[in-house]
Amino acid sequence: MTWLKLVEGYMPMQMISELAGSILVFALVNWALNRAGMGIPKFWAGIGVWIYIQLYLKYRIYPPIPFSVRAIYGTVSGCGIFMWVSGSEGEWQEFKRPILNVMDGISGFHKGLRTAALIVIPLALGGFAYNSFLPSFEEPIELRTVHPAPPATTKVHGKTFVLQVVENPYRVNNDGKYDQAYTDARIVEQSMGRLMKDVNDPNYNPWDPNAEGYTKYVREGGEIFFQNCHFCHGDNLNGRGLWAYAFNPIPANFTDAGTIAQLQETFVFWRVSKGGIGLPGEGFPWASVMPPWEQHLTVDEIWKVVMFEYWHTGYYPRTWD
Amino acid sequence: MGRLKSRQAGKKFLAVTGLFAMGVMLLLPIFVALPALAGGGGPAAGGPPADVIASQEAEGVEGEEVKVEIGRDVYYKTEGPVVGASAPKTADTEEFYPRYNFESRVLLWVANQQHLYYGSFVLAVPIFCMCIEFAGLVSKDKAMAKKYDQLAYDFVKISLTAYSLTAILGGILIFTFLTLYPAFFGYLSSIFRPVMHIYALMFVAESGTLYIYYYGWDKMKDGLLKWLHCSMSVVLNVIGTVLMFLANSWIGFMMSPAGVDEQGRFLGNIWHVLHTALWNPLNVHRILGNMAFGGGVVAAYAAYRFLSAKNDEERAHYDWMGYIAMSLGVAFLIPLPFAGYWLMREVYAYRQQMGITLMGGLLAWLFIIQATMIGILFLTTNYYLWQALGRMTGGERFQRYIKYFVFILVVGLLVFITPHTIVMTPAELKAMGGQQHPVLGNYGVMSAKNGGINAIIMTTIASFIWYQRGNRVPAVKWAKFGNIFLITFFVVAHLNNIWVACYGYFIPANVRIGLSVPQVAGTLSCLFFGSALNLAMLSKSRELGPIRWGQIAPRSQYALIMLATAFTWMMGLMGYIRSSVRLFWHVNEIMRDNSPWAYTHTIGFGANVISFNVLFFWITILFVFWLGALGAKKAPVPATQPVPGAAPQPATGH
Repeated sequence: MTWLKLVEGYMPMQMISELAGSILVFALVNWALNRAGMGIPKFWAGIGVWIYIQLYLKYRIYPPIPFSVRAIYGTVSGCGIFMWVSGSEGEWQEFKRPILNVMDGISGFHKGLRTAALIVIPLALGGFAYNSFLPSFEEPIELRTVHPAPPATTKVHGKTFVLQVVENPYRVNNDGKYDQAYTDARIVEQSMGRLMKDVNDPNYNPWDPNAEGYTKYVREGGEIFFQNCHFCHGDNLNGRGLWAYAFNPIPANFTDAGTIAQLQETFVFWRVSKGGIGLPGEGFPWASVMPPWEQHLTVDEIWKVVMFEYWHTGYYPRTWD
Repeated sequence: MGRLKSRQAGKKFLAVTGLFAMGVMLLLPIFVALPALAGGGGPAAGGPPADVIASQEAEGVEGEEVKVEIGRDVYYKTEGPVVGASAPKTADTEEFYPRYNFESRVLLWVANQQHLYYGSFVLAVPIFCMCIEFAGLVSKDKAMAKKYDQLAYDFVKISLTAYSLTAILGGILIFTFLTLYPAFFGYLSSIFRPVMHIYALMFVAESGTLYIYYYGWDKMKDGLLKWLHCSMSVVLNVIGTVLMFLANSWIGFMMSPAGVDEQGRFLGNIWHVLHTALWNPLNVHRILGNMAFGGGVVAAYAAYRFLSAKNDEERAHYDWMGYIAMSLGVAFLIPLPFAGYWLMREVYAYRQQMGITLMGGLLAWLFIIQATMIGILFLTTNYYLWQALGRMTGGERFQRYIKYFVFILVVGLLVFITPHTIVMTPAELKAMGGQQHPVLGNYGVMSAKNGGINAIIMTTIASFIWYQRGNRVPAVKWAKFGNIFLITFFVVAHLNNIWVACYGYFIPANVRIGLSVPQVAGTLSCLFFGSALNLAMLSKSRELGPIRWGQIAPRSQYALIMLATAFTWMMGLMGYIRSSVRLFWHVNEIMRDNSPWAYTHTIGFGANVISFNVLFFWITILFVFWLGALGAKKAPVPATQPVPGAAPQPATGH
């Protein structure tokens, strides 16, 4: 559906609103038809709404939703429709009537339907069973977990870091003290399309020659990122780098609300340092080819690049205080 | 006449004195144990046995100054004298892990889960009894008072058989621990030695109180004695709650140890061992969970009796019983997600690693299943209430709006159960262009999920308000204004919920977590303020007709059974998740699990064991129900026309 776009930033609420709007339209149409004495039977109304939701999820939402999620949505919406059609005794009787009519064979037409059902249902079940036994050439489903659990401590370049408490040494204010709020105020703004608040101010523009402290460290992190990371993670940090599609799965998309935005900065520090090979054994396979960057970068460089990733995406690292 | 009165007063005095003496005797173990607690549990908890100490003393030079080693608490960071042995370093041998030709962990899992099911049930039901007996006691309507009293008695009758089973299962659990995990159990019992004895003694106190409470029901049915009887239920519940807190301290210690040093040596402060980082959140979560579970099981019992009822009288009674049990259960289900949220928050704060393993990593899919179960619980509750409207004259006024409630519930649930980690084929992953879906990915994180569950809870509260109004129309002067205010209140609470859920994406995590407070406050306001306002409006109301107890669709009773089954399954699931998060540790970061089963099971295997546990529990509880119904089977067939809603009379008194 190209004429009605899903608008970036509003897509989740847009999807719910569209569904709500269309259900409301159905309700209005049904109400009008009822008033005109041509109401849709409950049985067909229930089935119709369920089919509509499945078609909406399959063809309206792009990129396509994986089957497992559509199956969950289909089941939940099916339960919802059952609750609706059997919410009161009158409606339940109305819903059941066509099914009972067919089972009782109240007319020649219904008897024909009953006979057809007795033939088609076993055949369909047989076909389903046959299909499930056929050899499949599809790659198997991987139940991959996105976030590996970090250890309590990690050792990088001979120094042990306690991930629960360690702080990024470059996340500092003008006095050189660790200051989360100060740095949070200087990241790019999501609502502005990930733009800097004031490009002419060295406090906000890391590439200003007069940038000092936090913004200067962000620039240094950015330089490291573009020398090492952007080939895979992309110059917009969205996981669409030059080499991204050589990997399966493609690299992490930092602009998504479900990746670094959900994590403590120390998690990202550990993940970058140890790469794919240093991930914990539980939950194998991780399917990550990221190199252990501790072999190529210093501790300081890793902290700076982590800080740049948060700055550029406009997200704040998770904190607890 | 005067002589009769003085004889009655004498009897009362004797009864009260006897009861007081009994109470003192029952609580004696606690008082006796208190000095030991205050002193850190006596000599060297976890230390070597007495004969070893004696031989060490014999070898030592008399008069030599004993050097006290000081250790540092792994959690509290305080220093204390090392008075216990190190946690054993186990190996995969028969010495540390004796075994049958079967996976020991699964055996322990089943034994533990069954004990927990019954334990939860027998701790929850007396709380219901207390509430219902009290309601009967203060009720001015004599017929209602009798009904409440009968109901409370029915409740405790079910729990009595379950209580014996709990004790038997507790014994089986200890034997399983001793035979299959002797090193680990030895270490744990050395740390908890002082409180373990208290635990056992509390069990004695609990049993004694419960038996007096049950068997004294008829003897203490009037006047002051009835009040004393009701007070005894308070004592019973206090003991039960302390018992549960003590049991929780063991799992709290296993997940987030405190009171020991890095080698697991006890540092002499038993309070630190009990009061670990996760103890209080676990306590609150378990109290609420037990109550919801207990309500579900009793409701299922009532549904079973309803469906098998032979006459209208029984049907009316068990319909009413099912409604009361369901209402009590759901009253505790509503705050349960908030308690769970607090627990998870504390888990994250304690160890980021644990939090991520639970909700973003290895066990994340189990959390999606849990979210689905929570959704089922709330949807089923709503469904039951809508069905219950059908037995009220005037209830049909609300039924036409069911579809809108269904929409909110379904959308809330869809958001709530959208997985953060999507299961997909590699082809689907390529088509999607990455691990995260640009539309659904936003539903997979906490901000949206909080919005989803709060929408569901608020809708459930609204269904309860519908139910309260089913056959009544407010007749207070300000009814119109009250209705407008109530509707506006719910609309604003929903809008606030949606706004906070969206805004959560644009702010730091710590602010977002803080914002969950106004979100929850909105929901709780709907619960407390909305219900109170509704009750105030109904204080003067016009009744459209009676509640036709017993005339409810059988679907509603299946909904109650489903509610109970979902509770049971979810308890099994959450217990498994909570235990699995320790991964390869018996005691987190202190004592490593070196058995061959120190790995995380596949989701399918875990689900099968949980299902087995649920099935086993329900088969055994059906036996308990059957026992409960045995007495009723002897009841004579009432000669008179049954009165809908009246309680069936027991065969031989209480």
